[in-house]
Amino acid sequence: MIRLTKQLLVLMVVLLATSVVYGQDAPSGTITLWGWSFDSMEATGLIDAFKAEYPDVNVEIVVYPSGDTYQNLQLACSAGQGAPDVVQLENSHLAGFVALDGCLTDLTEQVEPLLGEFNDYKWLDAERDGKYYAVPWDSGPVVLYYRQDIFEAAGLPSDSETVSELAATWDSYLEVCKTIKEETGHTCFANSRAANDARLYEIALWQQGLGYYNEAGEVTVDSPENVATLEKMGEFWEADVTSEAQPWTDPWYAELGGTGEDSTASLVEASWMGVFLKTWIAADLPGVWGVAYMPAFEEGQVRAANDGGSTLAIPEESDNKDAAWAFIEFMLARPESQITQFAYNDFLPALESTYSDPIFSEPDPFFGDQTPRQIYLDVAGQIPSATVYGPSYSLMNGHVATAIQRYATGEVSAQEALSQAAEDIRRETGLQ
Amino acid sequence: MNLQVSPTQSASYPPVGQPIAGGLQQAQNRWGMLFVSPFFLLFAIFGLFPLLFSLVLSLSDWNGQGAVNYIGLENLNLILQDRVFWQSMFNGVLIFLLYTPLQLLLSLVLAVVLNSRRVRGFRLFRTIIFMPYITNMVAAGYVFQLLMNSRSGLFNQILAVFSVAPVPWLDTPWAARVSLVILVLWAWLGYHMTIMLAGLQTIPQDLNEAATVDGASPLQIFFRITIPLMRPVILFSLVLSTIGSFNLFTELVSLFPSTAGGGPLNSTITPGLYIFNQGFGNFRFGYASAVAVVYFVLVFLIVLVERRYLGRDNT
Repeated sequence: MIRLTKQLLVLMVVLLATSVVYGQDAPSGTITLWGWSFDSMEATGLIDAFKAEYPDVNVEIVVYPSGDTYQNLQLACSAGQGAPDVVQLENSHLAGFVALDGCLTDLTEQVEPLLGEFNDYKWLDAERDGKYYAVPWDSGPVVLYYRQDIFEAAGLPSDSETVSELAATWDSYLEVCKTIKEETGHTCFANSRAANDARLYEIALWQQGLGYYNEAGEVTVDSPENVATLEKMGEFWEADVTSEAQPWTDPWYAELGGTGEDSTASLVEASWMGVFLKTWIAADLPGVWGVAYMPAFEEGQVRAANDGGSTLAIPEESDNKDAAWAFIEFMLARPESQITQFAYNDFLPALESTYSDPIFSEPDPFFGDQTPRQIYLDVAGQIPSATVYGPSYSLMNGHVATAIQRYATGEVSAQEALSQAAEDIRRETGLQ
Repeated sequence: MNLQVSPTQSASYPPVGQPIAGGLQQAQNRWGMLFVSPFFLLFAIFGLFPLLFSLVLSLSDWNGQGAVNYIGLENLNLILQDRVFWQSMFNGVLIFLLYTPLQLLLSLVLAVVLNSRRVRGFRLFRTIIFMPYITNMVAAGYVFQLLMNSRSGLFNQILAVFSVAPVPWLDTPWAARVSLVILVLWAWLGYHMTIMLAGLQTIPQDLNEAATVDGASPLQIFFRITIPLMRPVILFSLVLSTIGSFNLFTELVSLFPSTAGGGPLNSTITPGLYIFNQGFGNFRFGYASAVAVVYFVLVFLIVLVERRYLGRDNT
């Protein structure tokens, strides 16, 4: 009798253990996603494909614009509850969240085999003390968008290669701008003085491998190189070739999407801007915008920088991390998924194994049948590592933007403006 | 029953709270407490606790996550050197000076005019002036931002018809402040006018009639009777405007989206917005709480001054 009971007990325990083990094998349950770019997965059937492979997982997408995503995630982490299972975070703000202890899940183990597959610079903001907390999604290689019709009206060539040669450096780009201003009266690009958001400045820093701090963690906002970069931008203000339209406002859109007198001739921005131009800002102007390489800061330097780009992370509060990781791996680490998304929204995948796909050599009718994707690819491979983003990015960007505004409106010199910003940043962050 | 009666109170009424006979007063008190308790409960949870927690946090450098690290008064030291905070206080004062006299005058004059039933359609005017107050501020701010755009906005287009050079409404620090004041005036005039109207209705008509009989002109009535009697209401409106000037938030974020409400060269940022940015933008909750405490003290002092100079007749 006793032996039978013991055997029964052992059998029960073994069965229980087996079922637990097997139960854990297949991810299951519902995962909640927070972000603003999941339409590239919904509209292309990727979510359905994911469900086909993981039938026990339900996917719930909550669309929040970036600002709301960051605020809600920060509140959820603070409150200890309410966080989603997967969250979209731009590189610019990722380091800030990684710095919040216990907010994001340590994904080092899962991510180790993938480290070499993505653009190197994307891992900087996801890493802290040797651990990784997010997976790269898309990149923002910066290029020069230019209006072919305005270039032609100014007597300049309008094909991509020649324009790339003409604007080989910021100095020669300035000459191009002056020509356009003289011949046609059009402004070269929008760079508001009083409402500057430091975006173009950060691009210029990035391409030189500079940033707001150095490897030792010291603040470099007022370094001679940073000051020189600002002064180079100042030359464009002095030559009066830029427009005062404030970014992401209606007049700014009107300049980019119209053919009137106030339309602007070019724009130095990341590849996702091309998507915006195509789909809504300049949707009525197909065939008129072109894509060239962005100018180098100085002769012989690299013609590549990054602006933006997102990642996906798993908040520590998630109680369905297996399913969440399965989702991230499916959507970001597989070339097919990334290519499908790219075909839909033109956001350049950070996954380098996708770069051999023929889709990148397809001509784009919106850009007058040029092949901008080749340029994006080429640029993405050359993006240097820079220290623009970081845990205190919002704070630093705020101070630097104000400094640029003070310099641009003629209040102080570039050195003084940046010195004051640096002083404020050092005091508020405790960095040297 | 021995009743303790204090000299200043009438001997026929017991002091409040003192039992009359056994537990009746006590029972009444208990019911009273019960009925007002929801408010106090909610206030304790959502008002008092956050206030106290904020005070505690102001002594730390907490980033919203993890352990709270206390640093004593170091935040105060940082605040004293914080250029942007003092700029925001300065902006608050400037906006207050630009906005309040105009608003007080306009709301009072309009209230006096529209108080008289002899004005045709006075109800219609009151409604029209009040309507901006109930419009959504985000929508209103966004529309004003479109109207005030220096290149393509309607305001400059109208000015162009009269051959006036385009005004950089939102592009320079001073113009931005004036534009902000225009928006705030438009939005809040109706509210303050209604408060003034309510105040006017407490002034007995006999006073005005008597004055008219004695030969006073409407202007004299306005300055000698109306304004002095309206002192408490004016003070109330003044205090609201003061606090409001320093707390502007929605107006800023919808008028100046490119700078997240700060305006050109931080010319329009207010302490309210600054505290929010520090806490929820930069994750510096300890510092934001400290700024809130300092800001509270400063505004409290300002309001105390206002009460001293305007309220002494009515204490």
